[in-house]
Amino acid sequence: MHAFAYVRPATVAEAVAILLAHGPDARVLAGGTDLVIRLRDGSAKPSVVVDLKRIAELRPGIREEDGHLVISATTVMTDVAADPLIRRYASALAEAASVVGSVQIRNRATLAGNICNASPAADTAPSLLVYGAVVVAQGPDGTRRIPIDEFFVRSGVTTLARGELVTAIELPVPTGRRGAMHQRRTRRRGHDLASVTVSCCVDEAGMTRLAYGSVGPRPVVYADATGVLADPSADREARLAILEAMFAGASPSPRSMRASPEYRLAMLRVLGARALQGAIDRLHADGD
Amino acid sequence: MSAPIIGSSPNRVGGIARVTGQHEYVADILVADALEAKFVTIDCAHARIISVDASAALALPGVLAVMTAADMPQPVPRFGPQLEDRPVIAVGETKYHGDPVAIVVAETRDLAMQAAALVHVEYEELPAVFTLAGALDPSAPLVQDPSLRPKDRFASTNVLREHPIGWGDVDAATADVVVEHTYTFPMVTHFAIEPHAYMAAPDGDGIAVWSTIQHPNWLQKVIAQVLHMPLAKVRVFAPDPGGGFGGKQHAKYEPLVALAAMHIGRPVRLVLTLEETFQAVRRASAEVRVRTGVNRDGSLVFEDIVADYLIGAYADIADRVVGKGSYPAAGPYNVPNVRIMARSVLSHTMPSTAFRGFGNPQVNWAVESNLDEAARAIGMDRLQIRLHNLARKGDAFIPFDTPADGHWEQTVLRAAELIGWDSPLPEGRGRGIALGVKSGPTTGLSYSTVRLLGDGSVVVFAGTSDMGQGARTVFAQIAAQELGAPLGWVAVVMGDTAVVPYDQQTSASRSTVLMGNSVLQACRSIQKQLSAMAARLHGLDEAQVTMDRGVIHLPDRDLTVLDVLVPGLGRLGGELTGNGEVRKDADPTHPLSGAPAFFEFNCTAIEVDVDRETGDITIARHVTVSDVGKSLNPLQVRMQDEGAAIQGLGHTLMEHYIWDEKGRLRNPGAIDYRIPTSMDLPLELIGATIENEDGPGPYGSKGMSEGALLCISSAVGAAVRDAIGVPMRDLPLTPERVWRALQEPSS
Ligand SMILES: Cc1cc2nc3c(=O)[nH]c(=O)nc-3n(C[C@H](O)[C@H](O)[C@H](O)COP(=O)(O)OP(=O)(O)OC[C@H]3O[C@@H](n4cnc5c(N)ncnc54)[C@H](O)[C@@H]3O)c2cc1C
Repeated sequence: MHAFAYVRPATVAEAVAILLAHGPDARVLAGGTDLVIRLRDGSAKPSVVVDLKRIAELRPGIREEDGHLVISATTVMTDVAADPLIRRYASALAEAASVVGSVQIRNRATLAGNICNASPAADTAPSLLVYGAVVVAQGPDGTRRIPIDEFFVRSGVTTLARGELVTAIELPVPTGRRGAMHQRRTRRRGHDLASVTVSCCVDEAGMTRLAYGSVGPRPVVYADATGVLADPSADREARLAILEAMFAGASPSPRSMRASPEYRLAMLRVLGARALQGAIDRLHADGD
Repeated sequence: MSAPIIGSSPNRVGGIARVTGQHEYVADILVADALEAKFVTIDCAHARIISVDASAALALPGVLAVMTAADMPQPVPRFGPQLEDRPVIAVGETKYHGDPVAIVVAETRDLAMQAAALVHVEYEELPAVFTLAGALDPSAPLVQDPSLRPKDRFASTNVLREHPIGWGDVDAATADVVVEHTYTFPMVTHFAIEPHAYMAAPDGDGIAVWSTIQHPNWLQKVIAQVLHMPLAKVRVFAPDPGGGFGGKQHAKYEPLVALAAMHIGRPVRLVLTLEETFQAVRRASAEVRVRTGVNRDGSLVFEDIVADYLIGAYADIADRVVGKGSYPAAGPYNVPNVRIMARSVLSHTMPSTAFRGFGNPQVNWAVESNLDEAARAIGMDRLQIRLHNLARKGDAFIPFDTPADGHWEQTVLRAAELIGWDSPLPEGRGRGIALGVKSGPTTGLSYSTVRLLGDGSVVVFAGTSDMGQGARTVFAQIAAQELGAPLGWVAVVMGDTAVVPYDQQTSASRSTVLMGNSVLQACRSIQKQLSAMAARLHGLDEAQVTMDRGVIHLPDRDLTVLDVLVPGLGRLGGELTGNGEVRKDADPTHPLSGAPAFFEFNCTAIEVDVDRETGDITIARHVTVSDVGKSLNPLQVRMQDEGAAIQGLGHTLMEHYIWDEKGRLRNPGAIDYRIPTSMDLPLELIGATIENEDGPGPYGSKGMSEGALLCISSAVGAAVRDAIGVPMRDLPLTPERVWRALQEPSS
């Protein structure tokens, strides 16, 4: 492994100062389940690795605050998946967190790391998109709140600026009932990176949000405010047309080893339909 | 008489050390002053090496050497179990992606890696072949230098050898229905959890070599030859490997590491990464065309099989895999006319080698799948067509060979019963059943020594490698049973050629039969000595004393071993020693140079559920039944069958090498090469054995450990075809492939 300096700042301000000073030569370390692999295979060669796990302000935790669920940057998938608030208000996120990697990976992998890594296949991205999550970032100029849809650029690239790090992820607590579901496609049942991810959320007002990933350079979200998608008794052709318009944003890579573009596009439709139906069923069963 | 230890399932000898992390694997062994090695490779398959500039690497403090072919003895030594065609390091050109151009030796592993990245290799890419079609094209570049085999009629082609076999007259035979299809089998790797690791240290005027090798005595010969040393000066340590599956049978990089250690005069260690292991060991892929002739009553008339196996750039043991694996390709059936033509085809890929099943799964997939098609063509039940043609015990199903050595119909009927073959099939599901037969070892030589110490405890010396199959436990059970010692009083010594007598190899599911018999023989020799001792002590004739299971029978009473041993050895104490030698010589008149010691026979039956939208296969029920003669240790037998079955689900459902157009492996490692995890297991996995005590091994046992892998693909494929109504002829049966099959207009 390439040699690097390892620092463990005690405050966010300290971390920001280091990130600012070193720019792209510094890498933030949370759970390390993405970063350590890249350090080992040499695809990341930072001169300094900044570990966030000793920063008191970023201590793991999920709390409800001013109509939001606030998930701190060091909260791991296991805790996201098990958290009663998340399960109640954001079940698709709990579902997504519960399928990331294996038990060992989930005990280590953070939600913030998943989105900062910005893999198009990141499992939690579609659910965060349908729930309208906000990424809280702190940098040399203070705190920014970035809507999640404006956070992803392409694989490995986010809109975080030099010196910025993510301190928390916020989800609005819903005011009405909703139902949601996360679906993914992998090559085996055991842990695997997804070749298609889809989340769908339907609310009692008839709004449907559908987001998907792994079929293009970044995960994307679409909304249908007409109420047609949310209504299973609506005209089949009309519903299909809306879904087709949503899926038009997919452009899977022909170079991928995981699945061909044709298969991904076909599975996007299968999973999309299943996630939509699942979300509707849950809305009518017991809500989200 | 103590309760029989044979037939019980005591805790695995060495098991606690393994599961608590105490077991020392080669990569764990600390040797003072050991250096670490790393390969220098290029991002190209077949290339002419123009120059190697190691100056930047050598400038790093702590880097001791960067060795290329130029630093080796000249001509560069070559080795190989079949042909001595493989140089210890690339000479003049690389022949496959990952072929090492140089080896860097440094004080630490990180330093060796850093230095390896600094070695600059200038090379010119050469034309290359990576597929059967490419390699068999008349204008294909030759993988092997034709001067290596001047008299060979194939020298100017990429065919290494042909293996024709058959009987009857296929061309003259006429059948009511003929079914012909082509099937493919992917390139896969063994994926042993323990990394392949090698270490060598100059040792006085000799050398010590540590390796994750399955055949330590074979390795000893290779090293002796490369270093021009007598065998006695080459000491091979072979700690119990953490999984081998055939991938650790033959020498790979031990000669290179030994030469580096001798050159530098210090111990050198090389531990392959998982990615490097992908470049070191794999199973041959294959394309198999089968023409099956069958009459309307279900009788097989002929099997006409053409099997091309894509082996790598060097022979390793791959050509033997092709010859021996294709030999029983027509299956365990009485087929009057058979023609098999198998070819080993060289390519610019890493050498393929032995892998559990040894060339059989490739042809089984094709021939058993085609048999299903034949059954469908004549409207016969797929179980019935098998029972109708199956060889019964004593049938010479391969006319010039060992006859069927088991009541195989019992195995098939048991599997059919366990899967509920005749029960109604739940909606959307499919069932399949397939048979597998594999020739066991055709030659063998296993020496053993057993020492009965003065207190009645026992030391067994056996050169088998226990790589997880549990050989230590079985040998300890045999010695305990025969010499009346508690299992915990038996020590089994393996894996040190300076101490343990010669064993040819650990392969072909042989050790329980061949080494087991050898250990039994050594124990029986001690029993004789004890009987003689008892006769002497009690003033009897030797013929009046007998011994079995640790009990010495006098005409009027029974004695324990200690009753005889202690007075018999007398005041000075001492011990009794017995030797075993089991030899199965080659038979030059036999097509495989020897009839098999036994057959491994398995029947696998599968029930699947297929998601027609996604192509996902769920194995709802998996039944695997093997004829093992006698389970000496039922739990270990079961674990072998389960392990083989699950390993086989890998190449059946998900595993395959992916290449780019330049012959570079795209998916080495654990991320994009998927093996089954616990979550991918069948919902229900049912194992059973047939035990008629009719095997050649101790207590009527037969070899087992590969059987459950032989026909797994065929059984799953048959079940999927039953569920979706569309045949699939290319493995693995990934969801995407199933989905594609379902998109075909015919479905
Ligand atoms: C075996 C295995 C299986 C996996 N399976 C899945 C899967 O099924 N689904 C899936 O989505 N992912 C999977 N992953 C990827 C990985 O586990 C997740 O992306 C995980 O959430 C990353 O979190 P982490 O805390 O480990 O991130 P780290 O590795 O610590 O960091 C990831 C990246 O984000 C940056 N970063 C981390 N935290 C911050 C922050 N607060 N501010 C700014 N930048 C930050 C780091 O610098 C780095 O570039 C798997 C990984 C492995 C090894």
